[in-house]
Amino acid sequence: MEKLRSFILNLYPTTKLFCTLFVCIIPFLLPGYLYSYLILLVCLFIAMLAGKAKFFANFVFKGLFPIVIMIFLLQSFFYPGDTILWSWGTFSIKQEGIDFSLQLTSKIVAIGSALILFFQITKINDLARSLEILGVSPKATFVLVSSFNIIPEMRQDMIRIMDAQRSRGVETEGKLRVRMKAFIPALTPLILSSFSSTVEKAITLESRAFTAQTKKTNLQQLEKTKGDKLVRTILLILLVFIIIWRFSL
Amino acid sequence: MKGIKKDFTLMAILLIPIGVAVNVVAGELVHLLKVPIFLNQIGTMIVAMLAGPWVGAATGAVSKLFFGVFDPAQLAFLPVSMATGIVVGLLAKKGMTTKIWKVTVTGFIVAIVAILIATPITIMVFGGASGTGSDAFTAVLLASGREIWTAVFTQKIFVESFDKIFSIFVAYFVVRKMSDQYLSKQNYGYLYINNKSNKNNKNNKKVG
Repeated sequence: MEKLRSFILNLYPTTKLFCTLFVCIIPFLLPGYLYSYLILLVCLFIAMLAGKAKFFANFVFKGLFPIVIMIFLLQSFFYPGDTILWSWGTFSIKQEGIDFSLQLTSKIVAIGSALILFFQITKINDLARSLEILGVSPKATFVLVSSFNIIPEMRQDMIRIMDAQRSRGVETEGKLRVRMKAFIPALTPLILSSFSSTVEKAITLESRAFTAQTKKTNLQQLEKTKGDKLVRTILLILLVFIIIWRFSL
Repeated sequence: MKGIKKDFTLMAILLIPIGVAVNVVAGELVHLLKVPIFLNQIGTMIVAMLAGPWVGAATGAVSKLFFGVFDPAQLAFLPVSMATGIVVGLLAKKGMTTKIWKVTVTGFIVAIVAILIATPITIMVFGGASGTGSDAFTAVLLASGREIWTAVFTQKIFVESFDKIFSIFVAYFVVRKMSDQYLSKQNYGYLYINNKSNKNNKNNKKVG
Protein backbone atom coordinates (compact mmCIF):
# COMPACT_ATOMS: atom_id res chain seq x y z
CA MET A 1 0.00 0.00 0.00
CA GLU A 2 2.69 2.47 1.05
CA LYS A 3 4.72 1.37 -1.94
CA LEU A 4 1.87 1.96 -4.36
CA ARG A 5 1.25 5.33 -2.82
CA SER A 6 4.76 6.60 -3.30
CA PHE A 7 4.78 5.06 -6.79
CA ILE A 8 1.77 7.15 -7.82
CA LEU A 9 2.98 10.33 -6.16
CA ASN A 10 6.49 10.00 -7.57
CA LEU A 11 5.52 9.49 -11.18
CA TYR A 12 6.99 12.06 -13.53
CA PRO A 13 4.56 15.01 -13.89
CA THR A 14 4.22 14.68 -17.65
CA THR A 15 3.43 10.97 -17.25
CA LYS A 16 0.51 11.97 -15.06
CA LEU A 17 -0.43 14.57 -17.67
CA PHE A 18 -0.48 11.85 -20.34
CA CYS A 19 -2.72 9.72 -18.12
CA THR A 20 -5.10 12.67 -17.71
CA LEU A 21 -5.20 13.35 -21.45
CA PHE A 22 -5.78 9.65 -22.08
CA VAL A 23 -8.73 9.64 -19.70
CA CYS A 24 -10.09 12.79 -21.35
CA ILE A 25 -10.09 11.10 -24.78
CA ILE A 26 -11.70 7.84 -23.65
CA PRO A 27 -15.29 9.15 -23.31
CA PHE A 28 -15.18 10.27 -26.95
CA LEU A 29 -13.84 6.93 -28.18
CA LEU A 30 -15.98 4.49 -26.24
CA PRO A 31 -19.70 4.13 -26.86
CA GLY A 32 -22.36 4.61 -24.21
CA TYR A 33 -21.90 6.15 -20.81
CA LEU A 34 -21.06 3.22 -18.60
CA TYR A 35 -17.29 3.29 -19.26
CA SER A 36 -17.14 7.03 -18.72
CA TYR A 37 -18.86 6.75 -15.34
CA LEU A 38 -16.46 3.95 -14.44
CA ILE A 39 -13.62 6.45 -14.84
CA LEU A 40 -14.92 8.27 -11.76
CA LEU A 41 -14.57 5.06 -9.75
CA VAL A 42 -11.12 4.37 -11.20
CA CYS A 43 -10.02 7.91 -10.31
CA LEU A 44 -11.45 7.50 -6.81
CA PHE A 45 -9.54 4.23 -6.47
CA ILE A 46 -6.27 5.86 -7.57
CA ALA A 47 -6.93 8.76 -5.20
CA MET A 48 -7.45 6.25 -2.39
CA LEU A 49 -4.17 4.54 -3.20
CA ALA A 50 -2.45 7.91 -3.16
CA GLY A 51 -4.09 8.80 0.16
CA LYS A 52 -6.04 11.72 -1.30
CA ALA A 53 -9.50 10.17 -1.35
CA LYS A 54 -10.99 12.70 1.05
CA PHE A 55 -9.90 15.74 -0.94
CA PHE A 56 -10.83 14.09 -4.20
CA ALA A 57 -14.34 13.22 -3.02
CA ASN A 58 -14.76 16.69 -1.59
CA PHE A 59 -13.90 18.43 -4.87
CA VAL A 60 -16.01 16.06 -6.93
CA PHE A 61 -18.91 16.72 -4.59
CA LYS A 62 -18.52 20.49 -4.64
CA GLY A 63 -17.39 21.02 -8.22
CA LEU A 64 -19.07 18.36 -10.32
CA PHE A 65 -22.24 17.45 -8.45
CA PRO A 66 -24.11 20.78 -8.74
CA ILE A 67 -23.68 20.98 -12.48
CA VAL A 68 -24.52 17.31 -13.03
CA ILE A 69 -27.73 17.67 -11.03
CA MET A 70 -28.70 20.84 -12.90
CA ILE A 71 -28.10 19.17 -16.26
CA PHE A 72 -30.34 16.29 -15.22
CA LEU A 73 -33.10 18.59 -14.02
CA LEU A 74 -33.02 20.83 -17.09
CA GLN A 75 -32.74 18.07 -19.67
CA SER A 76 -35.14 15.54 -18.21
CA PHE A 77 -37.91 18.15 -17.97
CA PHE A 78 -37.29 20.21 -21.08
CA TYR A 79 -35.58 17.95 -23.63
CA PRO A 80 -37.99 17.29 -26.50
CA GLY A 81 -39.28 13.71 -26.45
CA ASP A 82 -42.39 11.54 -26.33
CA THR A 83 -41.57 8.76 -23.89
CA ILE A 84 -43.03 10.19 -20.71
CA LEU A 85 -41.86 8.50 -17.52
CA TRP A 86 -43.46 10.66 -14.89
CA SER A 87 -45.56 13.78 -15.07
CA TRP A 88 -46.89 16.42 -12.75
CA GLY A 89 -49.22 19.01 -14.19
CA THR A 90 -47.64 20.39 -17.33
CA PHE A 91 -44.20 19.08 -16.36
CA SER A 92 -43.00 15.65 -17.36
CA ILE A 93 -39.76 13.68 -17.20
CA LYS A 94 -38.91 12.13 -20.54
CA GLN A 95 -36.76 9.12 -21.36
CA GLU A 96 -34.98 11.01 -24.15
CA GLY A 97 -33.94 13.74 -21.74
CA ILE A 98 -32.56 11.21 -19.26
CA ASP A 99 -30.59 9.48 -22.04
CA PHE A 100 -29.19 12.79 -23.25
CA SER A 101 -28.24 13.82 -19.70
CA LEU A 102 -26.49 10.51 -19.10
CA GLN A 103 -24.45 10.92 -22.28
CA LEU A 104 -23.51 14.51 -21.50
CA THR A 105 -22.79 14.15 -17.79
CA SER A 106 -20.75 10.96 -18.25
CA LYS A 107 -18.24 12.94 -20.34
CA ILE A 108 -18.20 15.85 -17.90
CA VAL A 109 -17.77 13.54 -14.91
CA ALA A 110 -14.97 11.57 -16.59
CA ILE A 111 -12.96 14.61 -17.69
CA GLY A 112 -13.68 16.49 -14.49
CA SER A 113 -12.62 13.70 -12.17
CA ALA A 114 -9.46 13.08 -14.20
CA LEU A 115 -8.51 16.75 -13.88
CA ILE A 116 -9.27 16.87 -10.15
CA LEU A 117 -7.18 13.75 -9.61
CA PHE A 118 -4.32 15.19 -11.66
CA PHE A 119 -4.10 18.32 -9.54
CA GLN A 120 -4.44 16.29 -6.35
CA ILE A 121 -1.48 14.01 -7.08
CA THR A 122 0.79 16.49 -8.87
CA LYS A 123 2.77 19.20 -7.14
CA ILE A 124 2.49 22.38 -9.14
CA ASN A 125 6.23 23.07 -8.70
CA ASP A 126 7.11 19.70 -10.21
CA LEU A 127 4.73 20.25 -13.09
CA ALA A 128 6.27 23.65 -13.81
CA ARG A 129 9.79 22.20 -13.72
CA SER A 130 8.89 19.36 -16.09
CA LEU A 131 7.26 21.81 -18.49
CA GLU A 132 10.41 23.91 -18.35
CA ILE A 133 12.48 20.86 -19.28
CA LEU A 134 10.09 20.30 -22.20
CA GLY A 135 10.97 23.80 -23.42
CA VAL A 136 8.21 26.02 -22.01
CA SER A 137 9.47 29.53 -21.24
CA PRO A 138 10.56 29.99 -17.60
CA LYS A 139 8.48 33.16 -17.55
CA ALA A 140 5.33 31.13 -18.23
CA THR A 141 6.11 28.57 -15.53
CA PHE A 142 6.93 31.39 -13.12
CA VAL A 143 3.47 32.86 -13.70
CA LEU A 144 1.89 29.46 -12.99
CA VAL A 145 3.81 28.73 -9.81
CA SER A 146 3.62 32.22 -8.40
CA SER A 147 -0.16 32.44 -8.99
CA PHE A 148 -0.63 29.30 -6.94
CA ASN A 149 1.63 30.63 -4.20
CA ILE A 150 0.15 34.12 -3.96
CA ILE A 151 -3.47 33.05 -3.54
CA PRO A 152 -3.29 31.66 0.04
CA GLU A 153 -1.26 34.71 1.03
CA MET A 154 -3.85 37.07 -0.38
CA ARG A 155 -6.66 35.14 1.28
CA GLN A 156 -5.02 35.85 4.64
CA ASP A 157 -4.71 39.53 3.74
CA MET A 158 -8.37 39.66 2.81
CA ILE A 159 -9.48 38.23 6.16
CA ARG A 160 -7.28 40.80 7.92
CA ILE A 161 -8.70 43.68 5.89
CA MET A 162 -12.28 42.49 6.45
CA ASP A 163 -11.65 42.41 10.20
CA ALA A 164 -10.13 45.88 10.12
CA GLN A 165 -13.01 47.32 8.11
CA ARG A 166 -15.57 45.68 10.36
CA SER A 167 -13.87 47.18 13.40
CA ARG A 168 -14.23 50.65 11.91
CA GLY A 169 -17.90 50.09 11.30
CA VAL A 170 -18.29 48.70 7.80
CA GLU A 171 -21.25 46.35 7.93
CA THR A 172 -20.81 43.01 6.22
CA GLU A 173 -24.12 41.44 7.09
CA GLY A 174 -27.71 42.39 6.51
CA LYS A 175 -29.57 43.40 3.38
CA LEU A 176 -28.17 42.82 -0.09
CA ARG A 177 -27.41 46.51 -0.51
CA VAL A 178 -25.42 46.59 2.72
CA ARG A 179 -23.43 43.53 1.70
CA MET A 180 -22.77 44.96 -1.77
CA LYS A 181 -21.51 48.15 -0.16
CA ALA A 182 -19.04 46.18 1.97
CA PHE A 183 -17.45 44.79 -1.17
CA ILE A 184 -15.57 47.92 -2.22
CA PRO A 185 -13.88 48.83 1.12
CA ALA A 186 -12.77 45.22 1.53
CA LEU A 187 -11.41 44.79 -1.96
CA THR A 188 -9.80 48.14 -2.79
CA PRO A 189 -7.04 48.11 -0.13
CA LEU A 190 -6.32 44.47 -0.89
CA ILE A 191 -5.90 45.07 -4.62
CA LEU A 192 -3.94 48.28 -4.22
CA SER A 193 -1.46 46.84 -1.73
CA SER A 194 -0.88 43.65 -3.71
CA PHE A 195 -0.45 45.49 -7.00
CA SER A 196 2.03 47.93 -5.52
CA SER A 197 4.14 45.02 -4.23
CA THR A 198 5.01 44.11 -7.83
CA VAL A 199 7.61 46.87 -8.01
CA GLU A 200 9.68 45.32 -5.22
CA LYS A 201 9.19 41.88 -6.70
CA ALA A 202 10.54 43.10 -10.03
CA ILE A 203 13.64 44.48 -8.34
CA THR A 204 14.18 41.22 -6.44
CA LEU A 205 13.79 39.07 -9.54
CA GLU A 206 16.01 41.32 -11.58
CA SER A 207 18.75 41.12 -8.95
CA ARG A 208 18.60 37.32 -9.37
CA ALA A 209 19.03 37.69 -13.16
CA PHE A 210 15.53 36.53 -13.97
CA THR A 211 15.45 38.06 -17.45
CA ALA A 212 19.13 37.40 -18.25
CA GLN A 213 19.60 35.36 -21.41
CA THR A 214 21.81 32.67 -19.92
CA LYS A 215 21.46 29.04 -19.01
CA LYS A 216 20.25 28.73 -15.45
CA THR A 217 20.81 26.04 -12.90
CA ASN A 218 17.95 24.55 -10.95
CA LEU A 219 17.90 23.10 -7.45
CA GLN A 220 14.86 20.98 -8.13
CA GLN A 221 15.65 17.53 -9.44
CA LEU A 222 13.16 15.45 -11.39
CA GLU A 223 13.90 11.96 -12.60
CA LYS A 224 12.07 9.61 -14.87
CA THR A 225 11.96 6.11 -13.41
CA LYS A 226 11.15 2.65 -14.72
CA GLY A 227 7.63 3.18 -13.45
CA ASP A 228 7.12 6.06 -15.88
CA LYS A 229 8.16 3.92 -18.81
CA LEU A 230 5.84 1.16 -17.64
CA VAL A 231 2.85 3.47 -17.25
CA ARG A 232 3.45 5.14 -20.59
CA THR A 233 3.76 1.81 -22.41
CA ILE A 234 0.59 0.46 -20.80
CA LEU A 235 -1.30 3.62 -21.78
CA LEU A 236 -0.08 3.44 -25.37
CA ILE A 237 -1.05 -0.23 -25.68
CA LEU A 238 -4.45 0.48 -24.15
CA LEU A 239 -5.05 3.40 -26.51
CA VAL A 240 -4.12 1.36 -29.61
CA PHE A 241 -6.24 -1.51 -28.35
CA ILE A 242 -9.27 0.74 -27.79
CA ILE A 243 -8.94 2.38 -31.20
CA ILE A 244 -8.66 -0.97 -32.99
CA TRP A 245 -11.57 -2.44 -31.01
CA ARG A 246 -13.74 0.61 -31.61
CA PHE A 247 -13.18 0.95 -35.33
CA SER A 248 -13.21 -2.73 -36.23
CA LEU A 249 -16.77 -3.03 -34.94
CA MET B 1 3.49 38.75 -32.78
CA LYS B 2 6.09 41.41 -32.08
CA GLY B 3 3.51 43.56 -30.33
CA ILE B 4 2.56 40.64 -28.08
CA LYS B 5 6.16 40.04 -27.05
CA LYS B 6 6.65 43.72 -26.36
CA ASP B 7 3.67 43.74 -24.02
CA PHE B 8 5.10 40.97 -21.83
CA THR B 9 7.67 42.99 -19.89
CA LEU B 10 8.85 41.85 -16.45
CA MET B 11 6.44 44.26 -14.78
CA ALA B 12 3.59 42.92 -16.89
CA ILE B 13 4.49 39.31 -16.11
CA LEU B 14 4.46 40.09 -12.39
CA LEU B 15 0.98 41.54 -12.76
CA ILE B 16 -0.47 38.24 -14.01
CA PRO B 17 -0.23 36.28 -10.71
CA ILE B 18 -1.62 39.27 -8.79
CA GLY B 19 -4.49 39.57 -11.24
CA VAL B 20 -5.22 35.85 -10.91
CA ALA B 21 -5.16 36.07 -7.13
CA VAL B 22 -7.48 39.10 -7.18
CA ASN B 23 -9.90 37.15 -9.39
CA VAL B 24 -9.90 34.21 -7.01
CA VAL B 25 -10.10 36.20 -3.79
CA ALA B 26 -12.78 38.58 -5.13
CA GLY B 27 -14.77 35.52 -6.20
CA GLU B 28 -14.47 34.16 -2.67
CA LEU B 29 -15.35 37.51 -1.11
CA VAL B 30 -18.56 37.57 -3.15
CA HIS B 31 -19.29 34.13 -1.77
CA LEU B 32 -18.54 35.28 1.77
CA LEU B 33 -20.81 38.31 1.49
CA LYS B 34 -23.46 36.16 -0.21
CA VAL B 35 -23.84 38.55 -3.13
CA PRO B 36 -25.48 36.65 -6.01
CA ILE B 37 -23.01 37.55 -8.79
CA PHE B 38 -19.57 36.20 -9.74
CA LEU B 39 -17.27 39.24 -9.98
CA ASN B 40 -14.38 36.89 -10.66
CA GLN B 41 -12.78 38.83 -13.51
CA ILE B 42 -11.91 42.09 -11.74
CA GLY B 43 -8.20 41.22 -11.66
CA THR B 44 -8.22 40.35 -15.36
CA MET B 45 -9.76 43.73 -16.13
CA ILE B 46 -7.26 45.68 -14.03
CA VAL B 47 -4.33 43.86 -15.62
CA ALA B 48 -5.77 44.38 -19.11
CA MET B 49 -6.18 48.10 -18.39
CA LEU B 50 -2.60 48.46 -17.14
CA ALA B 51 -0.67 46.04 -19.32
CA GLY B 52 -2.64 45.57 -22.52
CA PRO B 53 -4.94 42.98 -24.07
CA TRP B 54 -2.52 40.04 -24.34
CA VAL B 55 -1.37 40.14 -20.74
CA GLY B 56 -5.04 40.49 -19.81
CA ALA B 57 -5.91 37.41 -21.84
CA ALA B 58 -3.13 35.45 -20.11
CA THR B 59 -4.49 36.52 -16.71
CA GLY B 60 -7.96 35.36 -17.67
CA ALA B 61 -6.66 32.00 -18.88
CA VAL B 62 -4.51 31.30 -15.81
CA SER B 63 -7.28 32.24 -13.42
CA LYS B 64 -9.70 29.86 -15.13
CA LEU B 65 -7.02 27.16 -14.83
CA PHE B 66 -6.91 27.85 -11.12
CA PHE B 67 -10.70 27.81 -10.76
CA GLY B 68 -10.60 24.58 -12.76
CA VAL B 69 -8.46 22.83 -10.16
CA PHE B 70 -11.43 22.81 -7.79
CA ASP B 71 -14.28 23.03 -10.26
CA PRO B 72 -13.35 21.54 -13.65
CA ALA B 73 -16.57 22.81 -15.22
CA GLN B 74 -15.06 26.30 -15.07
CA LEU B 75 -12.37 25.29 -17.56
CA ALA B 76 -14.91 25.25 -20.36
CA PHE B 77 -15.42 28.98 -19.86
CA LEU B 78 -11.74 29.77 -20.40
CA PRO B 79 -12.45 31.49 -23.77
CA VAL B 80 -14.88 33.88 -22.06
CA SER B 81 -12.35 35.19 -19.57
CA MET B 82 -9.65 35.41 -22.22
CA ALA B 83 -12.00 37.45 -24.40
CA THR B 84 -12.78 39.69 -21.42
CA GLY B 85 -9.06 40.45 -21.07
CA ILE B 86 -8.60 41.09 -24.78
CA VAL B 87 -11.67 43.33 -25.18
CA VAL B 88 -10.92 45.40 -22.08
CA GLY B 89 -7.27 45.73 -23.12
CA LEU B 90 -8.06 46.81 -26.68
CA LEU B 91 -10.67 49.33 -25.56
CA ALA B 92 -8.37 50.64 -22.81
CA LYS B 93 -5.68 51.26 -25.42
CA LYS B 94 -8.19 53.37 -27.32
CA GLY B 95 -8.75 55.41 -24.16
CA MET B 96 -12.16 53.89 -23.47
CA THR B 97 -11.50 53.40 -19.74
CA THR B 98 -10.66 56.94 -18.70
CA LYS B 99 -14.09 58.44 -17.99
CA ILE B 100 -17.20 57.15 -16.30
CA TRP B 101 -19.40 57.22 -19.40
CA LYS B 102 -16.68 55.56 -21.47
CA VAL B 103 -16.27 52.87 -18.81
CA THR B 104 -20.02 52.22 -18.98
CA VAL B 105 -19.81 51.75 -22.75
CA THR B 106 -16.80 49.45 -22.34
CA GLY B 107 -18.71 47.45 -19.74
CA PHE B 108 -21.58 46.94 -22.16
CA ILE B 109 -19.25 45.83 -24.96
CA VAL B 110 -17.46 43.37 -22.65
CA ALA B 111 -20.82 42.02 -21.50
CA ILE B 112 -22.03 41.52 -25.08
CA VAL B 113 -18.85 39.66 -26.04
CA ALA B 114 -19.11 37.52 -22.90
CA ILE B 115 -22.75 36.68 -23.65
CA LEU B 116 -21.98 35.76 -27.25
CA ILE B 117 -19.18 33.39 -26.22
CA ALA B 118 -20.69 31.97 -23.04
CA THR B 119 -24.10 31.06 -24.49
CA PRO B 120 -22.90 28.49 -27.06
CA ILE B 121 -20.47 27.01 -24.51
CA THR B 122 -23.21 26.63 -21.89
CA ILE B 123 -25.54 24.93 -24.34
CA MET B 124 -23.07 22.72 -26.20
CA VAL B 125 -20.95 21.59 -23.26
CA PHE B 126 -23.46 21.58 -20.41
CA GLY B 127 -26.80 21.40 -22.21
CA GLY B 128 -27.85 24.77 -20.81
CA ALA B 129 -26.90 24.31 -17.15
CA SER B 130 -24.06 26.14 -15.45
CA GLY B 131 -24.11 24.73 -11.92
CA THR B 132 -24.94 28.07 -10.31
CA GLY B 133 -28.08 29.63 -8.90
CA SER B 134 -28.87 31.34 -12.20
CA ASP B 135 -29.88 27.95 -13.61
CA ALA B 136 -33.20 28.40 -11.85
CA PHE B 137 -33.80 31.40 -14.09
CA THR B 138 -33.06 29.32 -17.20
CA ALA B 139 -35.49 26.69 -15.93
CA VAL B 140 -38.24 29.27 -15.44
CA LEU B 141 -37.75 30.53 -18.99
CA LEU B 142 -37.79 26.99 -20.35
CA ALA B 143 -40.93 26.22 -18.39
CA SER B 144 -42.66 29.21 -19.93
CA GLY B 145 -42.18 27.53 -23.29
CA ARG B 146 -39.03 29.21 -24.62
CA GLU B 147 -36.42 27.37 -26.63
CA ILE B 148 -33.14 26.41 -24.95
CA TRP B 149 -31.10 28.99 -26.94
CA THR B 150 -33.45 31.84 -26.11
CA ALA B 151 -33.66 30.78 -22.50
CA VAL B 152 -29.91 30.59 -21.93
CA PHE B 153 -29.31 33.75 -23.93
CA THR B 154 -31.84 35.71 -21.87
CA GLN B 155 -30.43 34.37 -18.63
CA LYS B 156 -26.90 35.34 -19.71
CA ILE B 157 -28.02 38.86 -20.62
CA PHE B 158 -29.21 39.42 -17.06
CA VAL B 159 -26.32 37.72 -15.29
CA GLU B 160 -23.37 38.71 -17.48
CA SER B 161 -24.23 42.35 -18.14
CA PHE B 162 -24.70 43.14 -14.46
CA ASP B 163 -21.60 41.15 -13.53
CA LYS B 164 -19.31 42.63 -16.17
CA ILE B 165 -20.44 46.24 -15.77
CA PHE B 166 -20.09 46.11 -11.98
CA SER B 167 -16.66 44.45 -12.35
CA ILE B 168 -15.32 47.04 -14.74
CA PHE B 169 -16.48 49.84 -12.45
CA VAL B 170 -14.60 48.29 -9.52
CA ALA B 171 -11.56 47.87 -11.77
CA TYR B 172 -11.81 51.47 -12.93
CA PHE B 173 -12.06 52.89 -9.39
CA VAL B 174 -9.12 50.81 -8.22
CA VAL B 175 -6.92 51.89 -11.13
CA ARG B 176 -7.91 55.50 -10.49
CA LYS B 177 -6.64 55.16 -6.91
CA MET B 178 -3.19 53.97 -7.99
CA SER B 179 -0.37 56.46 -7.61
CA ASP B 180 1.07 58.18 -10.66
CA GLN B 181 4.48 56.84 -9.73
CA TYR B 182 3.17 53.27 -9.94
CA LEU B 183 1.15 53.86 -13.09
CA SER B 184 4.18 55.30 -14.85
CA LYS B 185 5.91 51.92 -14.56
CA GLN B 186 3.14 50.10 -16.42
CA ASN B 187 2.90 49.81 -20.20
CA TYR B 188 -0.40 51.61 -20.51
CA GLY B 189 -0.40 53.38 -17.17
CA TYR B 190 0.03 56.80 -18.80
CA LEU B 191 -3.64 56.69 -19.80
CA TYR B 192 -4.67 57.20 -16.18
CA ILE B 193 -2.08 59.69 -15.03
CA ASN B 194 -3.18 63.21 -14.17
CA ASN B 195 -6.53 62.73 -15.82
CA LYS B 196 -8.19 65.55 -13.91
CA SER B 197 -6.77 68.11 -16.31
CA ASN B 198 -7.59 66.34 -19.50
CA LYS B 199 -5.96 68.91 -21.72
CA ASN B 200 -2.53 68.07 -20.39
CA ASN B 201 -3.12 64.40 -21.04
CA LYS B 202 -1.29 64.35 -24.35
CA ASN B 203 1.85 65.79 -22.81
CA ASN B 204 1.86 63.04 -20.24
CA LYS B 205 1.90 60.24 -22.75
CA LYS B 206 5.68 60.19 -22.77
CA VAL B 207 5.92 59.32 -19.08
CA GLY B 208 5.45 55.57 -19.63
